[in-house]
This record gives sequence, C-alpha cells and structure tokens, in this order.
Amino acid sequence: MPDNIYLPQLARVSSIKEEVAGERSIKTFRVEPVDGKLFDHQCGQCAMLSIFGRGESMISIASSPLIREYKQFSIMRVGRVSSAFHELEVGDVIGLRGPYGNSFPVDDWRGKNLYFIGGGCGLAPIWPVITTAVAQRANFKNVTVFYGGRTSRDIMYRAELEKLRESVDVHLSIDRMEEGWDGYCGFVPAAVMDKDPLPDNAIAITCGPPIMIKFVIQNLNKLGFKDEQIYTTIENKMKCGIGKCGRCNVGKDYVCVKGPVYSWAVLKNLPEEY
Amino acid sequence: MEKILDKKQIDGWIAALTAKSQDGWEVHAPMLEEGIWTYQPASGAVRLDHPNTNQSPKGFAFPQREIFFSFEQIKGEAPRLTQVLPKEQRHAVFGVRPCDGRGVPRMDKVFTDHVEDPYYNARRKNVAYVGLACNKPPSPNCFCLSVGGSPVSTDGLDVQLTDLGDRYFVKAITETGKALMTAGGKLFTDPSAADQKQVKQVHTDAVAHPQRKINDPDGAPAKLRASFNSPLWEEMARACIGCGICTFLCPTCHCFDINDEVQSKAPLKGQRVRTWDNCQFPDFTMHSSGHNPRENTGARLRQRVNHKFQYFHENFGMHQCTGCGRCISGCPVGIDIVAVVNKVTEHAG
Repeated sequence: MPDNIYLPQLARVSSIKEEVAGERSIKTFRVEPVDGKLFDHQCGQCAMLSIFGRGESMISIASSPLIREYKQFSIMRVGRVSSAFHELEVGDVIGLRGPYGNSFPVDDWRGKNLYFIGGGCGLAPIWPVITTAVAQRANFKNVTVFYGGRTSRDIMYRAELEKLRESVDVHLSIDRMEEGWDGYCGFVPAAVMDKDPLPDNAIAITCGPPIMIKFVIQNLNKLGFKDEQIYTTIENKMKCGIGKCGRCNVGKDYVCVKGPVYSWAVLKNLPEEY
Repeated sequence: MEKILDKKQIDGWIAALTAKSQDGWEVHAPMLEEGIWTYQPASGAVRLDHPNTNQSPKGFAFPQREIFFSFEQIKGEAPRLTQVLPKEQRHAVFGVRPCDGRGVPRMDKVFTDHVEDPYYNARRKNVAYVGLACNKPPSPNCFCLSVGGSPVSTDGLDVQLTDLGDRYFVKAITETGKALMTAGGKLFTDPSAADQKQVKQVHTDAVAHPQRKINDPDGAPAKLRASFNSPLWEEMARACIGCGICTFLCPTCHCFDINDEVQSKAPLKGQRVRTWDNCQFPDFTMHSSGHNPRENTGARLRQRVNHKFQYFHENFGMHQCTGCGRCISGCPVGIDIVAVVNKVTEHAG
C-alpha cells in the first residue's frame, strides 16, 4: 500500500469496448499505468476509479490477476462517475487506487467442479475467476458457466464467452424468446435447474441482480448444494475503500474490507443491509 | 507530575506555550460567542468555566473539511496531482471534558486500524488535549458513567486539570503533558497535602453526582444484535427529520464523504476534498441504481445506535459512545440515545 492511501495512481485507457448499448449501457475499459506498474490484485477484489473533477467510484476488477499489463473494468452507466466513464476516449487518463476487499478462495477450489452463474453486469466480478480457472484449467475438474441477459443484446463479453466454449461448458440464456436464439430462454435460476448441476465436490459462484442471486441460491440449495459451497459478492456504496468512511458496513464489518466476496454460509447470517 | 496552578496564572501558562522559544503551540480554549461555547485561539482571558463546548474537539485531528490533493489538467495531457498534507502546527486544546477526551482513542482506533489515514495521523500527532475534570455534570444529559467513563477520566488526555476553587490541580498524563507543564516553569507550584486531599474529595464527589443512565450497557451489544428487526426502530425514529445534528456534534462520529470540487473546467483545476458525512442522510448509503440498504429513518437510527453500542464494541471491545449527551441536547425532535438504547434492550429477546 502507498503512504497516502487516498492518492490515486494515474492510468491510461488503452481500449474501450461497448458491451451493451441502450439506457443502461455497459462499456469495458482496459487501463495501463502511466508510470511504473499497477498494483497486483486477487480474483474478486475491487479498485477505486477516479475521473478528476467528477469523483471516484468502486468498481470490481474484471481481469484475471494473471494479467499484469492492464486492468479491466466493465462499467454500467448509472451514476455521476460511471456516466463520466462512458464519455472517455482511448488515451484519456484516469485515477486508480486499490486493490480493496477480500477475494475468492480460488486456491482452495483445486480439484473441484466449478459452476459460475452470472446475470447482467454480474459477469464482470466473477470474470477474473472464470478466466483464471480457464488459464489454469488442469487445476479444476468440470467448469461450467451459466450466464443470462434480459435480451441477446444484454449479453456482455459475447465474443469471449464463445471462445470459452473451447475449454469449458457455457450456457447462455435470455429472459424472453428471440428469433435465432439457440440458448436457453427464461430466467437464470431456471436455466441452472434445467441443467441439474450436481453438488458433489462442487463450488457455485453467483453474481448478478439481487433478485437473481436470491433465487439462484434457493435453487442451488434445492439441488443439494450446501451453503458453504455457494459464493457470491455484494456491493454497497463506498467512498474510502479502507473501512473508515462508515457507509458500506453490513453489521460490524465493512464490505470494502471484509467483502465483497462471501460464502452464503456467512452472508445468510448477516443483517440484510446491502 | 502533579502541580498546582493559580487560576490567575493560566494565561501566563498559555503565553509560555505560545512563545516561539518554546515548541510554538497554538492554544485553543472554549470561548462564549453569541451564547455558544466554541474552541477559539486563546488570546488571554481564558476562564475554563464552560459547561461543555457546543461541538466536540474532534475537528482538531479530523477537520470538518480538508483537502486531500489538488488536480490540474490541460486538455490532451495527463492530470497533475499535488498532495496537500496538513501544516506542521502543534495545537494544545484546553478545557477538554473527560467524555471528549475518551473520544480521542476511539477516533484513533478508526483512523489507524487496518490502514493508517495519513491526514488524520499528521494532525493527530500534533494535538495535545488539556482536560478539565467535571466537578459536577455540565449537562442534564450527561451519562459518561454508563459507558465506562467518568467525570474524572483521563483517557485520551495529555494533562488533567481539576478545579479547586481559586486554583487548578494539574496532573500530567502523558510525556507530552509533562512537556506542556514544564513549559509553564515556575508558574506551577508543588501541591500541599491539603491540595491532595481536596482533589481526592472533589473527584469522589464528582463521581457521586447523579447522571442519566443506560441500564444495561454491557448487555447492549448482544441485545442490539438480537433486536435488528425490532419494530421499535421505526417507531422511535418516526419524528427524525434527518438533519444529522446528532453525528455532527458527536465526539466519535467519523463518517466522511470524498468529493471533487472544480474551480475551473478548462484547463481543469480542482481539489479532492474530505468532509464530514452523516449516516442519517438517505443518500449516505444509496446506490447509484437508486437501491438503498438503509431506506428509512428507522434503519438509519438503528445504524447510529448499533454502530456505537454493538458494531464498535464487537470490533474494538468498547462502546463508541462516551456519554457527552450532545446528540440528545441537540436533537430538534427529542430523539434520545439513552432512552432508545434502554427501550430496545429492555424489549430484546
């Protein structure tokens, strides 16, 4: 950690890709250091991103820790800072500080079957785990990705998901049938049930809209997954990233320090303030 | 180190501390201005006869507004950031009541636990607190005894003064406190046996004064945990107007916001600024999606009370409240933290 935790490092936007268009559009940014190197991170950690003059926002790091040349962030246009991000051009300079929070215990999952279950922009926080598992494919048994968007135009990382099919099972879904769609049609929790994943020696990692997570977990429980086999991430408004500004706590713990990754066994016992 | 200081000599002591030949302390003391006691730079005529100050002295280490860094950017170029660290100025704060003294180690926990806060640390190491024991409770809403404190507590203080009528009994608590007293030189005299006896009596009497009472402070963390979903929260917070005066006046509330203030758009010039923030404001926790995990005043009152009497206790083994009573006296709608804690804990499980 630097001496002054609040002072961001400068990073240059090296690529911008529009993932999803429309009112709640998502763009993916890759940033590289202006000087020196960027911090190392672990799967699931977040970073505080700055646009000077607009402010800061906590965003999950969407690239694998194995990639050291750049960090990737997929940002939905919703607030003041995220909207400013959507105005950026390649070459623009932003501020970056971090990494913050805990991480997915990926090393503990060696030799296991991994099920990733994402919805909407909830693919971004679990993307580093997916891509790390793919890069270290021999360390894991079966790897399966369930991912759904409201429509086919809401599917992010489309090309990357197609490429993933070479090494893992990918099941895409959309909420309502569209012409030419050959994936599952229906909500993500139902898409999971449709494939009947086995809980034996398995870990399920889910991220997406809160209502989706709720029903995914219910369904996983029905399938025999124990609470400690289920992992998710939560988000809360954050300003400092180091457990001092006082707003992101769930009970006694600050999400920016003890989160954002929780096993359901832990999270289900915490007050529902997220 | 224990000494006696004639009350007439306090201005002399302050002058000695302020003198450049010494360490160049900037001394602040409570002054009455338009009916409000505030800490002001001391320039003679210091009389420590205040009940308690309107605001706590937390701002000396954690100011209401401070600049983190400035930024400047010419279009097409990378931004330039200039760190703005606090000035190296020593502050001696006089007349700090024991409750506010006990606020200091609590703020220290927050700002030095896990990751150190460079701005807080830079200020904190340059602040000395010269406390004043409470011979009797300065406010009808005092309840320091309920939260592990005392009207004669020295927690967080560098020096403790006790009012003995025409003179102060002065006790150094820390090495910094000794240095402050040493700067006063011959203004201080040695206490007589009668002085020692009197200060003991004053302290004994101080503790015996009746105060407001939290009935089960030790049981509060567990009982509050069990009462998270109690309907009492919403009921007790119904009158809350969300003004936030409770946290603004509190000696231990530390929540803050960070924002960019822009002076010029082209070229871009501005500052990243930290300001006090407030858990009673709806947008304190509101996500940019509009979802708010603490969406009503009940949830926000629960956060304030639980933070002080449950979460902080679970993290650091002490209540975050020091019993100054400011949040009670200052609340425009009469929300009373003592009554709230008592009611919730009495109804728990």
